[in-house]
Amino acid sequence: MVAIAVEKAVPVTVLTGYLGAGKTTLLNRILTYEHGQKVAVIVNEFGEVGIDNQLVIDTDEEIFEMNNGCICCTVRGDLIRIISNLMKRRDRFDHLVIETTGIADPAPVIQTFFVDDEVQTQAKLDAVVTVVDAKHIWQHWEAEEAVEQIAFADVVLLNKTDLVKASELDQLEQRIRSMNAIAKIYRTQNAQIEMNTLLGVNAFDLNNALQIDPEFLNETAHEHDETVGSMALVEEKPLDGEKLNDWLGTLLREYGPDIFRMKGILNIAGNDNRLVFQGVHMIFDGRPDRLWKPGETRKSELVFIGRNLEQMNLAAQFQACIVTDNG
Amino acid sequence: MSDYVTAIAWTPDNSRLAACSACGEVVLYDGKTGTPTVLQAAQGQSLDALSISHNGQFLATGGQAGILSIWEIQGQSPRLLAQLEHSRLWLDCLEWNPHHAELAFGLGRYVQVWDGLTQTVATTVHFEASSVLDLAWHPQGEYLAVSGNQSLKIWQRQQWDEDPQVLATGGASVAIAWATDGSYLASGNNDCSLLVWDRGCSDPWRMSGFSGKVRQIAWSTPTPTSKTPLIAAISGKDIVTWTKSTDPDIGWTAQILDSHEDKVTAIAFQPNSQLLASASEDNRIYLWHKAQQIAQILKGSSQGFSSLAWNSSGTALAAGGHQGEIFVWTESTQGKGFG
Repeated sequence: MVAIAVEKAVPVTVLTGYLGAGKTTLLNRILTYEHGQKVAVIVNEFGEVGIDNQLVIDTDEEIFEMNNGCICCTVRGDLIRIISNLMKRRDRFDHLVIETTGIADPAPVIQTFFVDDEVQTQAKLDAVVTVVDAKHIWQHWEAEEAVEQIAFADVVLLNKTDLVKASELDQLEQRIRSMNAIAKIYRTQNAQIEMNTLLGVNAFDLNNALQIDPEFLNETAHEHDETVGSMALVEEKPLDGEKLNDWLGTLLREYGPDIFRMKGILNIAGNDNRLVFQGVHMIFDGRPDRLWKPGETRKSELVFIGRNLEQMNLAAQFQACIVTDNG
Repeated sequence: MSDYVTAIAWTPDNSRLAACSACGEVVLYDGKTGTPTVLQAAQGQSLDALSISHNGQFLATGGQAGILSIWEIQGQSPRLLAQLEHSRLWLDCLEWNPHHAELAFGLGRYVQVWDGLTQTVATTVHFEASSVLDLAWHPQGEYLAVSGNQSLKIWQRQQWDEDPQVLATGGASVAIAWATDGSYLASGNNDCSLLVWDRGCSDPWRMSGFSGKVRQIAWSTPTPTSKTPLIAAISGKDIVTWTKSTDPDIGWTAQILDSHEDKVTAIAFQPNSQLLASASEDNRIYLWHKAQQIAQILKGSSQGFSSLAWNSSGTALAAGGHQGEIFVWTESTQGKGFG
């Protein structure tokens, strides 16, 4: 039954980006590209996208709260309704793209695919793609939404690179990297990008090993003036599974709203399998993965992306989970 | 039909069965012979809701295209009476008043009531909190309950301008149902809970811990031997029944019916009994004796069942399938497919 459930789940790409960043250009590229896939698109502003033979659905964002309004449990009610209805059709689509408004918080869209049981069996999140206007993003750093869109991303398109100097681009890329250590960053003009780097990314698939940009780990000085940032923790000594569980449980309870994304591969004492996990706010999914290979360095790697991470005492708490000789 | 059967309903005299599909078809079938009368051919966009008026005069459908269609179906040749078009809105909940020719339908954040006598929209009320997720007329037809994010609102018929009664739900209320005598109102919610209000009381009983959101609710008809209400709700692969003891100290007791191996898509109590029918994507329909034990298994669909409807006398059960199949079982016969 599990195999069937996986098979019928349609991959979903969430497309975010501040106003004018180039989302619509990218969307039109996805729709016109000859990838042989039938793509359905859910947009918030109708009219700008109009391609024959592709399903384009217009919607008004509706946020539903659960559990007394905790932001970690908010979902997009409109998407649940649309996806549940669309999935009944026999002539199904192969891929779903959801475009959010420029000022949308991406969390409710992402959470919809983990919280709603009906949607969860029918669709699986492929990746969050964020388009950044390389020239104008500087004006939007003050906007929480612009920052969060980058923090939640799996793929960042640094767009309109033709409008800025190379040195500015490097600086911008570094800033984005400090906010989000796991996203793949591509420099583009007119949102031109290979479709296979955009669709079918499987960024939320636990089987995909964590990829932290080595440069991020090597950087000695992160910019600490930002409130939103990434933190990577790496440790070769085995961890105490119980302590780790307690710590993560407490951490998410206390700081869930400030932790946007979380990914990790863990080396648990007494366990020959890797433990992989990921989280979005308080939604957490972890399971044993493949065996550690002979000769492979067993190590734990975790990445947190969030707001005010330094307050959470992550490094020390993580160190406290290392198995000690006296138990 | 050529695509997923999204809704089915019997005419009140049980002579015909109506169905609509995910590619926009509307078909009336003769209840005995299965002869189809196509009211609307495939359109491309889905129809999601269908309802037949109390006297069998009108049939209404709504769907993805935002068009409310009303047919007059009495007599030999049904005719399209009205089509109300709404751009940018999906119509996925509509229901005729059980005693009057009045159709309530959700229209984004509003509910409109179409009057069959004047054949015009008689009133528009504003739900405000969110899009309308479900609506249900009180069995006596004098109240209309509407559900959405965070609340239920109950309007009194013909007092549409008065403020509605508001019942808080905590999460989003995705499915509502009145007990058959109107004494209770139940709400299935997206936070995996079920709420039940006694009509005279604003504090609900709450049942939580469902495996997913509660997608549909059904009430059994009280019988001379069991006067207490029996409620069934579906969530994920489970059906959960809830019974209220006559002893107030015991209150409600729950039972989980977890025999289905895939998502349960619809449930319906046989009229005037506690026989519960459940349809699932596992290609089975179970009939549960007293909503407790499987009394019979009905098969026929190869890709899963999507919808269910008993006729009013409880002598026939109709089901729709994912591939557009329509099945009817009667008390004495085996299932037969229509189309």
